[in-house]
Amino acid sequence: MGKARLSTRLIRYRWLLVLLLPGLAYFVVFKYAPMYGVTIAFQDYLPFLGFDGSPWVGFKHFETLFSSPDFPRVLGNTLILALLNAVFVFPAPIVVALMLNELRVSILKRAIQSAIYIPYFLSWTIVAALTYLLFALDTGPITVLMNDLFGERFDFLADPDWFRPLVILQTLWKEVGWGTIIYLAALAGVDSNLYEAARIDGASRWKQMWHVTLPGIRSTIIVMAILQAGNLLDSKFEQIYLLTNSLNRSVAEVFDTYVYFLGITQGAYSYSTAVGLFKAVVGVALIYGVNWLARRFGHSGLF
Amino acid sequence: MAVNRNTPAGRVFDAVNTLVLVAVGVVMLLPFIYVTAGSFARESELAERSFFLWPRDVVTDTYEYIFATNTFLRSLIITVLVTAVGMVIQVLLTFTMAYPLARRHLPGRNLLLGMVVLTLVFSGGLIPTYLIVRELGMLDSYWALILPLAINPFFLILVKNFFQELPEELQEAAQIDGCTELGVFWRIVLPLSKPILATMGLFYAVAIWNDFMSPLLYIDDSTKWTLQMFVRQVTVSSDMANTVGQLDPNYIPPEQGLKFAVIVIATLPILLLYPFLQRHFAKGILLGSVKG
Amino acid sequence: MALPLALVSCGSDETPADPADLGTLTLMIPLLSGDAAAPAVDSDMHKAVEALTGKKLQITWVPNSNYGDRMNVTLASDDLPEVMVVQGKLPAFVQSAEAGAFWNLTGKLDAYPNLKTENKQIELNSSINGQVYGVYRRRDPMRAAVIVRKDWLAKLGLKMPQTVDDLYNVAKAFTENDPDGNGKKDTYGLIVPKWPGVYATASPYDVIETWYGAPNGWGERNGKLVPGFDTPEFLEANRFVKKMVTEGLINPDFATLDSAKWDQQFFTGKGGIIVDVSSRAGVLTRLFKEKDAATYANFVDLTGNLTGPSGKKNSYPTVGFNGFLSISKQSVPTEAELKDVLTVLDKLSSKEGQILLNNGFEGKNFTVQDGYALGKDATVPAIKTITNDVMSFAQLGTASNGYVAYVSLPAGQFERQQYEQRVKFHKADEASAIHNPAQAIVSKTQVAKGAQLDQIIADARIKFLAGQINEAVLKAEIQRWYTQGGQDIVNEMNEQYAKIKK
Repeated sequence: MGKARLSTRLIRYRWLLVLLLPGLAYFVVFKYAPMYGVTIAFQDYLPFLGFDGSPWVGFKHFETLFSSPDFPRVLGNTLILALLNAVFVFPAPIVVALMLNELRVSILKRAIQSAIYIPYFLSWTIVAALTYLLFALDTGPITVLMNDLFGERFDFLADPDWFRPLVILQTLWKEVGWGTIIYLAALAGVDSNLYEAARIDGASRWKQMWHVTLPGIRSTIIVMAILQAGNLLDSKFEQIYLLTNSLNRSVAEVFDTYVYFLGITQGAYSYSTAVGLFKAVVGVALIYGVNWLARRFGHSGLF
Repeated sequence: MAVNRNTPAGRVFDAVNTLVLVAVGVVMLLPFIYVTAGSFARESELAERSFFLWPRDVVTDTYEYIFATNTFLRSLIITVLVTAVGMVIQVLLTFTMAYPLARRHLPGRNLLLGMVVLTLVFSGGLIPTYLIVRELGMLDSYWALILPLAINPFFLILVKNFFQELPEELQEAAQIDGCTELGVFWRIVLPLSKPILATMGLFYAVAIWNDFMSPLLYIDDSTKWTLQMFVRQVTVSSDMANTVGQLDPNYIPPEQGLKFAVIVIATLPILLLYPFLQRHFAKGILLGSVKG
Repeated sequence: MALPLALVSCGSDETPADPADLGTLTLMIPLLSGDAAAPAVDSDMHKAVEALTGKKLQITWVPNSNYGDRMNVTLASDDLPEVMVVQGKLPAFVQSAEAGAFWNLTGKLDAYPNLKTENKQIELNSSINGQVYGVYRRRDPMRAAVIVRKDWLAKLGLKMPQTVDDLYNVAKAFTENDPDGNGKKDTYGLIVPKWPGVYATASPYDVIETWYGAPNGWGERNGKLVPGFDTPEFLEANRFVKKMVTEGLINPDFATLDSAKWDQQFFTGKGGIIVDVSSRAGVLTRLFKEKDAATYANFVDLTGNLTGPSGKKNSYPTVGFNGFLSISKQSVPTEAELKDVLTVLDKLSSKEGQILLNNGFEGKNFTVQDGYALGKDATVPAIKTITNDVMSFAQLGTASNGYVAYVSLPAGQFERQQYEQRVKFHKADEASAIHNPAQAIVSKTQVAKGAQLDQIIADARIKFLAGQINEAVLKAEIQRWYTQGGQDIVNEMNEQYAKIKK
């Protein structure tokens, strides 16, 4: 289909355009109308004075952010955590979904699927309590096991070196099962005839997985990667906050916990909005960047 | 096909795969069993034993108390209704918007997509959204729990991506056979979309079910509260209230057993949704034959 | 941008909470009930409070955990409730009050018999630089206590500690002399959990520092206000705590112990001493009682503040209030209406009002015995509902005129005895209380940076105690507090302090 003239296309797609309208209205009213809220990053905003009444301060809050002695550390911590997430957390649901896909006993498959998605529903407060229980100094079951195995005294909760592994472990535990759902849905769409053909060709199961299953869900993987790139600088505030203490704060403080202190406890709405805006700009850049990469390698990308 | 299944390597793979998955499943299930067991245990047992799968004495006070007042039951019903209605509306809006966006030659498509993508990361924030909801007269109405979150841009893009995967020839063929665009959407595309439909239904339902911020900000009338308000009130308030110097002498923290019972009651209904939707995932496999 | 702005501009046709309606009072109150439900509009408590005040009450109950979020949007919405519970001098409140969101009540309260403060010091503490923006909610001015395993003391033939040296000795004996008699060295003395707050937030460290003579938060030295951590006593106290850590008298995971498990450590006999508010003794007693009602009186003993090494007793007080009730200027625009609202608050703080808000209904959910309110069986759902509603409405109580309701006690001879013991040492300790002279002062830089700066101190203190940094580095961290903005706080504090003292 070539590029038809706009008017032709408008007529041709008129019903689809009508279909689009309710969604469009939603975005205008609930997403774009409130967007003026980002301007408080350039104000000294006070809720009582409102958006009109609060004084304008230009880029003051951005200057404060970038010149803050905490900035490099917080940025570094956030990035390292994001990187670890990309390497360990992002692929995990794909792997588990593929493993589940290989499971032939359907009752077992469904039982396991249901079991692994339960942790998603437990709050971070409970996850944190369990972490403190399992990894407690000298007494946590995992600590005892590790101490015996390695003949050292592990202090998982206080040692800054263990902070990130713990965060990743928590995230894996809580969210892998939930994350598999989207891939299982994608796997359901893989053409079963392709397997048939592969089997007739004598392809081993690894080969089937590699040549049939993975390509079948590739576009979902790419879209998930692009979408998550946009949230790269986001961390889960509650999770991090509950695991932070005086001894590991040097590696624990990320933008979201940093902003919490400023935004909530100190009422610095404008400053925390400025930090949010900074994160969003980075997020957009990353979305477009990863999208560009995907297209470059011949995949369809997001848009 | 029997070849691969029965090779020794294939059997070892199956055995290992099954074992690993069962182990993972157990590790993820145990804490919830503990929470459930704890909801039937006495306070002193909860203080004494860090972890158990069966209480020494089974007591049901917490549940008796929860169901003795009608508030909890009322909010359970409200939550179920808001979730059901909300899910339908949200899925509908998402699908009707995603479908046109999946068509490569739709006029203005790139602009619209760009607009959607921006909302993935930019948001106006709590206060402006609250003001809009108020201007629309939705405060204290259940619509405030549904409409402000009607389309999740993340989900929208996933669905759009899914539609894009469907062969465009199929739709054009149907059109030539006399189907209108909407007819194609309804008769051809939706039936093929069961897995993604089930997934989105689940995602939206869970999001509404777990939403705490919307009722907190938009619902003043406590008789209209959803379950999450209760869960939050019982599980988090106490922890935050403990933050030092804040511990009010008049405040008696909720019993641990009550916390657990509230978590169990508030989680079970939504947990049951997934096994119910699971069968739709299997049905999607039919798609393959259409595609081929 | 034109469309969005048009959408949110406030039309003139809307009616915010009808300020002229004197028959209805709108309020916003945090829901702290241990239970989940907010009091129903047709509940006994709601109706009784309406009857007492002669107003129809329209109450927005907000879960305590997110009260701050809700307060922010409410402040932004130009639809403020007439009376709002404010949970402390949070920056959002301070800034709004100074911008004119709330009535300045300075000098206005004395005209109301039940709002006139019994304690000028607490009223000053609750003020913003001397300006009163709310009726403070009174709390006991002294609550610090040392809670000790009574059975361990008895087994080892020890007495309750009275001085910090005693504390050390008891902790040492609890660690080394096998107080639980299991033949293993598996106990320690003092239990300290991971403390979520920063410096000067009533942590065991803060309390011990005060015992050693360090200021409580801020102190006057040579006529100037100085932060408490910049004093020799602060260092001396932390050397003492560090010695206890090094010798194993404090749980080694003091930096990470889940604070929700604080009671558990005591209850299960892992450690034997807790330094905290005295009401924790009641919580612990309840646990022992549930386990074994026959012997529960043998496990928990407590005493007040300890005498420091100089032989002088310095007690750690509370600020004496927990937030306040503030009145919106926008919803209560005239002096006449203000008077009307204050009259309602006055009624709520009368003896009748206080008993209703704090105790409930005599005969229905409690009985009076020797001047104490004894709760009726809370396992009966109807009674439990009232008890929970009372706990919710108690948030509306001010008692700035003094607490005249009944003290609620759980049934039991031992509980009563324990309560009376608490009252006795609290009363005695008040004489030696070290107040924070800067309590009323709000400095601009402190609002902007205080919480983060104080984190430097809290972290450095823990690192010092854990042996990760030495005293020189601790001092350097204190200097870092100054250079990153602390010096501005000190200057602003002293400037305001000079004004208030006049």
